[in-house]
Amino acid sequence: MSRLSRLIAVAANTFRETVRERVLYNLVFFAILMTLSGLLLGQLSIRQDEKILKDIGLASMDLFGTLIAVFIGTGLVSKEIERRSLYPLLAKPLGRGEFFLGKFAGLAFTLLVNLGVMTAGLYLTLVLTGRGADPVLLAAVYPLFLGFLLVVAFAMLFSTVSSSSALAAVFTVGVVVAGRFTDVIRNMRDVAPGVPPWAVDVLYSALPNFRNFDFKDRVAYGDAVPPDVLAWVTLYGVAYVAVVLAIGLASFRSRDFQ
Amino acid sequence: MRRLPLLAVLLCAPAVPWSQAQIDRRAGTYRAQEEVLYLWSGEQVKRLFPGFESLAADVYWLRTVQYFGGERLFSREKRFELLRPLVDISTTLDPRLEIAYRYGAIFLSEPFPVGAGRPREGIELLEKGTRNLPLSWRLRQDYGFFHHIFLGETEKAAAILNEAASLPGAAFWLRTLAADLLAKGGSRQAARRMWQQMYEQAEEGIIRQNAKVRLEILDSLDLADRLTGLGRELERRTGRRPARLEDLREAGLWRGPLTDAEGTPFRYDRESGRVFISQESPLWRPE
Repeated sequence: MSRLSRLIAVAANTFRETVRERVLYNLVFFAILMTLSGLLLGQLSIRQDEKILKDIGLASMDLFGTLIAVFIGTGLVSKEIERRSLYPLLAKPLGRGEFFLGKFAGLAFTLLVNLGVMTAGLYLTLVLTGRGADPVLLAAVYPLFLGFLLVVAFAMLFSTVSSSSALAAVFTVGVVVAGRFTDVIRNMRDVAPGVPPWAVDVLYSALPNFRNFDFKDRVAYGDAVPPDVLAWVTLYGVAYVAVVLAIGLASFRSRDFQ
Repeated sequence: MRRLPLLAVLLCAPAVPWSQAQIDRRAGTYRAQEEVLYLWSGEQVKRLFPGFESLAADVYWLRTVQYFGGERLFSREKRFELLRPLVDISTTLDPRLEIAYRYGAIFLSEPFPVGAGRPREGIELLEKGTRNLPLSWRLRQDYGFFHHIFLGETEKAAAILNEAASLPGAAFWLRTLAADLLAKGGSRQAARRMWQQMYEQAEEGIIRQNAKVRLEILDSLDLADRLTGLGRELERRTGRRPARLEDLREAGLWRGPLTDAEGTPFRYDRESGRVFISQESPLWRPE
């Protein structure tokens, strides 16, 4: 069995495990939300129903995806440690890198399926309620997925350095919240002029800027996202995920499980 | 003992909707709307929803429409002091929510009981809209219209309409309307064109309904002026001022209705010989 096929096997097993844990049940809630929104908004919003439908659909994808990434992501490694199911796995011809990256790939696939079904649901609602299937929406869905990958990477990093999945979840939520307030950090000098500029710059650059993955408002009004912006966001996301995963992997490898 | 949970559910479940109804009766159905009075500025509310500002704007917008009316009217005893903060928070969370500026401006500017009777605030809201959506000629058009209709600032209105005319996609008639305003001043004809445009541009709903009422008011004012003129004509012919409007009919000067567009009889002031829209009419507005 090659290294890649072992990694895929771990990923496939992680996907099955998340499905078994009823993670995809959030799709039922999403379907109910979309149906009710489609039925009710026309009467309530004074012709803003299409925009509000898109807002609700995209915000639900963002919220559910982030919650899954945090709470499943933090359990991927730490639960295996807590349950002591990691030891027999590592005794097999399976590298720690393959295990770690396989877990990441498995949850990434779960999130992709979840996001794909939600996107299809949003398009279906738009079409069934007489609006067009606007392809511009995909320009917001794709960066959301990149953001989820980054959240999973952080969740896995914290689950390797902390002793409990609850603590890892708290750390991950902290990073996600801070990453959504990066503009406050950038403008910190306005309210705290004594802070050295280099400290602000370091903090701003080091924290993940989750606003980079947020184009929901723009596409809800039908505005396209320029391809070069998407390309830079992709580079940012991939580079950041690679760094966090690498640190997480190094931490995982250095842990003594005896 | 095994049936205890079932018994608890059966006993307690009806208490939930019952106590909720009691809370609503005491605290009011529109608590969520009234809470805006305790919130900070829209900017601070925005800080609470990083990444979800647009959705939060939708929530505030839906609350505004639920309370003040959209396709149909909801709240009867409206508290107009809630309108400005609700619209302000909606538009700060989503600065591109064009409908909120137009809707808010109308109901802030219209006199009580239709609106809050605060046209300056309505115009401030439209000004905020033109800052946030500088390429929206419709918002700038409304900004000009409101200066003329509610503040009587004709020259400023004409200048703003000319600005609107220079925006991409603007209607061709904006320049002629601006020129008419400068030439004829605050004529009723100019106001009619403005409301007619707002009526034609608006979707079905409360904004369109308001424009329709405004057009009916102008029609009724025209008719009242015409009846006033006929009264003077009768006075010239007979040497005495008509005692009542029906005298015009009896003299064969008028065969049409003596009611406004809503069917309410006009008020006739015998002292001055003038005809007015009755205060009993839904079309009556303070002068």
